[in-house]
Amino acid sequence: MRCRYACGSPEHMIARRTFLGVLGAGVGMAAGGSGPFLRPAMARQLEQSGRRMLTIYMAGGLSQLESWDPKPGTDTGGPFRSIATSVPGVRISELLPYTARQLHRLALVRSINTKENDHGKGRYIMETGRRQEPSIDYPQLGAVAAKFLAPEDDPLPGYIHITPGGNGFSKQDAAFLGPKYGAVTLGNGKPPSNSVRPEKLSETEEVNRQHLREQISQRFNLRRRTAQTEAYTYSYEQARQLMLQRSVFDVSNEPPKDLERYGTHDFGRHCLLARRLLEKGIACVKVTHSNYDTHHENFNFHIEQLSEFDRTFATLIEDLAERGLLDTTLVTVISEFGRTPRINHQFGRDHWGKAWSSVIGGCGIHGGAVIGKTNDNGTEVVDREVSGGHLFHTYLKAVGLNSKDEYTVNGRPVPMADPEAEPIEELLS
Amino acid sequence: MIGRRFKDAIALRRWLVAAALVCAVIFPGRGAAAAEKPLPLHARIDRAIREAYDGPWATRADDAEFLRRVSLDLTGSIPDVETARAFLDNPDTAKREQLIDRLLDSPQYARRMATVFDVMLMERRGGNRIAAAEWQTYLRESFARNKPFNRLASEILAADGARRGPRAAAKFYLDRGGEPHLLTRDVARLFFGMNLQCAQCHDHPLVDGYLQEDYYGIYAFLVRGYIVKDKKLGVEVFAEKAEGDVKYQSVFMPEETHETGPHLPGKPPIAEPQFKKDACYEVAPADQVAAVPKFSRLAELGRLVAGGASEAMTKNIVNRLWALMMGRGLVNPVGWQHDDNPPSHPKLFNLLADDFVRTNFNVKAFLRELALSETYQRSSQLPAGVTVAQVPDDRYSVATLKPLSPEQLAWSMMQATGVTDVRQSSALHKLAGDDPRFFELLEADAPRRAIKASLLENTVHAGLQGQVGSFVNLFTGLPGMPDAYQASVQQALFLSNSPQVQGWLNPASAAGVGSLMAKLNQVEPTGAVADELFLSVFTRRPTDEECGMVGSFLAQHPGEGRAPALKELAWALLTSAEFRFNH
Repeated sequence: MRCRYACGSPEHMIARRTFLGVLGAGVGMAAGGSGPFLRPAMARQLEQSGRRMLTIYMAGGLSQLESWDPKPGTDTGGPFRSIATSVPGVRISELLPYTARQLHRLALVRSINTKENDHGKGRYIMETGRRQEPSIDYPQLGAVAAKFLAPEDDPLPGYIHITPGGNGFSKQDAAFLGPKYGAVTLGNGKPPSNSVRPEKLSETEEVNRQHLREQISQRFNLRRRTAQTEAYTYSYEQARQLMLQRSVFDVSNEPPKDLERYGTHDFGRHCLLARRLLEKGIACVKVTHSNYDTHHENFNFHIEQLSEFDRTFATLIEDLAERGLLDTTLVTVISEFGRTPRINHQFGRDHWGKAWSSVIGGCGIHGGAVIGKTNDNGTEVVDREVSGGHLFHTYLKAVGLNSKDEYTVNGRPVPMADPEAEPIEELLS
Repeated sequence: MIGRRFKDAIALRRWLVAAALVCAVIFPGRGAAAAEKPLPLHARIDRAIREAYDGPWATRADDAEFLRRVSLDLTGSIPDVETARAFLDNPDTAKREQLIDRLLDSPQYARRMATVFDVMLMERRGGNRIAAAEWQTYLRESFARNKPFNRLASEILAADGARRGPRAAAKFYLDRGGEPHLLTRDVARLFFGMNLQCAQCHDHPLVDGYLQEDYYGIYAFLVRGYIVKDKKLGVEVFAEKAEGDVKYQSVFMPEETHETGPHLPGKPPIAEPQFKKDACYEVAPADQVAAVPKFSRLAELGRLVAGGASEAMTKNIVNRLWALMMGRGLVNPVGWQHDDNPPSHPKLFNLLADDFVRTNFNVKAFLRELALSETYQRSSQLPAGVTVAQVPDDRYSVATLKPLSPEQLAWSMMQATGVTDVRQSSALHKLAGDDPRFFELLEADAPRRAIKASLLENTVHAGLQGQVGSFVNLFTGLPGMPDAYQASVQQALFLSNSPQVQGWLNPASAAGVGSLMAKLNQVEPTGAVADELFLSVFTRRPTDEECGMVGSFLAQHPGEGRAPALKELAWALLTSAEFRFNH
C-alpha cells in the first residue's frame, strides 16, 4: 500500500519540518565557525526541493565483467552469459536478472578510467570526485548532500552510512565542510551511538534535566549570547529530537512482508532501512555491501554476492519508483574500481581502474541510457572515457547544485568538483 | 704597620662605597643619571587599548570570572573547589597577581602549554616516527624550564632527529613525511604567520606581500631534507643532502625561470660556503646512511631563528600567545600576517614584539604581563544597554567568549565532577603508603613540594588521559586543519547519554576524598548543596535565585529521589553554555 505521507513533494518537506517542532526563524542559527556557504536564497530553495541521494557502495571492487559490462565468449569473459534487460539492445550479466528488469530506470556508465588500482585511493576518487591531494581534503558526496540538501536545523543526520559492522561517526568525510556533516555510521543498521537515554535515567528524569539545563543557562544567556553559544544550546534540542525519533532507525517497524521482499540477510535489512530513511527525508544514505575483492574464486563469490544484491536492489528501485521517490532521489552504485579482464591462476580477477562501470539513476537521469563503450574483451575504453570527476559533477548537477561553484576555504577558492571535468550532459535532462 | 694601614684602606673604601650607595638612595638623581622606570608591559598594553577606542567598556571581571578564566588559560582546566573557595574568600588585594604566579609555576602550566603547542604545530596529525608521548615530554620540559621561544623554534626547525638537538623536536618534520612543499607551507604559516599556500605557483593574487620568492626562499632551506632510516642509529631521521638547487616559474609567466638560495621572508639570501664537489659532505649519503652535509641549510635556519633574525617570526608568536589569552589575535586570522590584513593595534603590536625580544623571548613573562593587564581582566558581560551587535570585534572592549578546547573540556569536566580529586587522593595515598620517609622529605621545602606536585600531576594525568580521546574525536575538526568550533548533535548525544560522562556523575571516593556526587549526597542544607555544586562546576557561588531554584527542585524530590535529582542538577550545570565556554 502506498504511504500517503511519503509523496516527496515540497509541501511534504515543509510539513515534516513543522512536525519536528522546529520553526524557521528565531531558533537555531547557523553554527558558529568558519565554513563555505551557498547564497541563502538558493540554499533554501534546494532544501525545499526535497532531493536526496542513495549510494550503494560495493566494497572491494565489483567486477564489471560479472555485472554491468559482460563480455561472454571472449578470452576475458569468464563462464557467465549475458541477458537481455528492460532496455532494448542493452545486455548485462546473467547474475543480475532482477536488476535487468529495472534497467529502464537506470543508466549505465561503461567507460570509467580512474587510473587507480589502490583501494583507498580508488575509493577516494569515487567518493569525492578528486584525486587525493596533500594540501587539502575534499568532502564526500554525502557530506555535500548533508550540507546543501538537508535543512540546517534538522536533528537527524544529513549523511547516514549503513555498514555491515562498526559504529561511530567519521568527520573526515566532510573535510572542510565541518564535522557536523560527516557520515553517521549505523553499524549493521543499528541506531547512532549514544542515542539511547542512559539505563538508569527515566523519561521524567530526562525531561527534568533538560529543563534544568535551560533554566540554568538563562542567566548566562541574558548577557552573553553569541552565535556559538546558540549553536551549542541548539545541539541539545537536536539531540532530544533525534532521541525522540529514534524509531526511524528501527527497520523492524516496517511491514513484515517488506522485510521478506528485501531478503532476510543483512543487506536486505540495510536496504529496507535505507528506504525508510529516505522516506524520512535523510539527504544521503549510503549502504555498503561487502565484499567484492575477489582475487580468488571471483566467479563463485560474485554469484553469492550478487544474488544477495540483485533482488534487494531491484526491489528497492521498484519501491522508490512506485512511491514517487525516484524522481527526487539520485541513485548510484559505485565501487573503488572494477576487476581485471585477465583471470588469474586462482580463478580470480585483480584490481582494475582502467575500464570499468558504474550505475546512476533517478533525479532526472535518463533511464536506459548507456554512456561509453569498452572494446570487445574489456581491456580498454574506446568511447567517452570518464573519471570520478565527471561522475561527481553529474551527481551534483542532477540534484540541482551548480557543480562549477566554489567554496571559500581558509581564504582560498576551492571548486566543488574537479575543474578538469564536467557533468556528463547526455545523462541529464 | 703597613698591614694595619692596608686594612684601614680597605675598610675606608668599603665605607665610602656604602655611603655613596646610601646617598644614591636618599638623593636619587645625584651623580649617575637616574634611570626612569618604564611602565610595566601590562600597563602599556592597557594604555594602547584604551587610546584606540572610546568605549563603552565592560567592567572588570569579578573574582570568580577571573579565577576560572585564568585557570583555564594557564592550566587547561577549571580550579578545584578548595582553591576556588580560598581564592574567593581571600581579602588580599594582591591575590590576582599571586594566583597568576602560582599557576605559572604549577606543573599544569607546562602540561597546558605542551598541549597548546602540540596542537598548534602538529594540528592533530597522527604519525608515529616520533611517539606522541616523547614529543609531549619534550614540549612539557621546554615549558617547565621556560625555554626561550627562539631557542624552542630553532630546535624544531633545525632538527634532524639524530645528532642535532633533541630527537623529539624532529616530529614537526618527520611526522609530515618530510615532504618539502608541505613543510614549506606549514613552516611559513605556523612559524612566520604567513599563509603562503597559493604562492607555490605564483605571487598571491590577492595579497601583495605574499611572493613566490618568499615561498621558495623557505623551500630552499627545507628541500634538501629527506627521511631515511639510518642503520647505525636504528631510527628514521631527517637527513640532508649537500646539493639541490631551487628553480621555479610562475604559472602565469612560465617562460621566466627564477633561481633562489635559502632566505627568510623579505630578507636577502644567506651566504653559503662553496665546497668542491666531492668535499661537501661530512657523511656522504649511502644506502641506510643519513647524509650530513658540511654546511647544513637546516642548521642555518635554526641559527637565524635563534638569533631572532626574523621579525615575522617574533610577531607570529606574539600574536598567537596574545590570541590564546585574549581570544582573538591582533592580526586576525592568525597566520595571515600581511600588509592588507594589518594588526588591529599596529603600535601595540610592534611594542609587544620589541618587548618580547628584549626579554629574550620569555614566554612565561609575556603571559604573565598579559594576565595582569586590565584588558585581559575585562569581563565578558556586556555593559548595560549594549547589544552583542554593537560590540566591535577587535577593540577588546568586552572579553571574547572562547569555546573550551576538547582537552580543556574533558579535564574541566573531570575536575568539576571530582574525578580528578579522587584520582589525586588515591595517588597521594599511595605515595604516602609506598615510602613514608620519602613522602615526608617531599614536604620539607618549596622545591621539594614542587617535585611532589609534579609527581602527582604526572600520576593523575597518566591515569585519566585515556578519558580525553573521545572528546578529541568528537570536538575537533580534521588533522591538518586548525581546531574550528562547530556544535553537532553527536556531541550533544555524547554529553547527554554516553556511559563515560554518566560514569563521572556517579559517587566515588578514595582515601577520604569524594567525588562531587559523593559530597553532595552527604550534604543536607540547600545552601550548602548549592554552594558546593556551583563552586565545583561553575567556579562561582550561586545567586539567591539559583539557590532558590536548587531548593525548590530538591524539595520536589525527597527521600530516594534526592540522589538522582542531585545528579540531574550536576548534569545540567555541566552541559550548560556557561560551562562549555571560557568567559
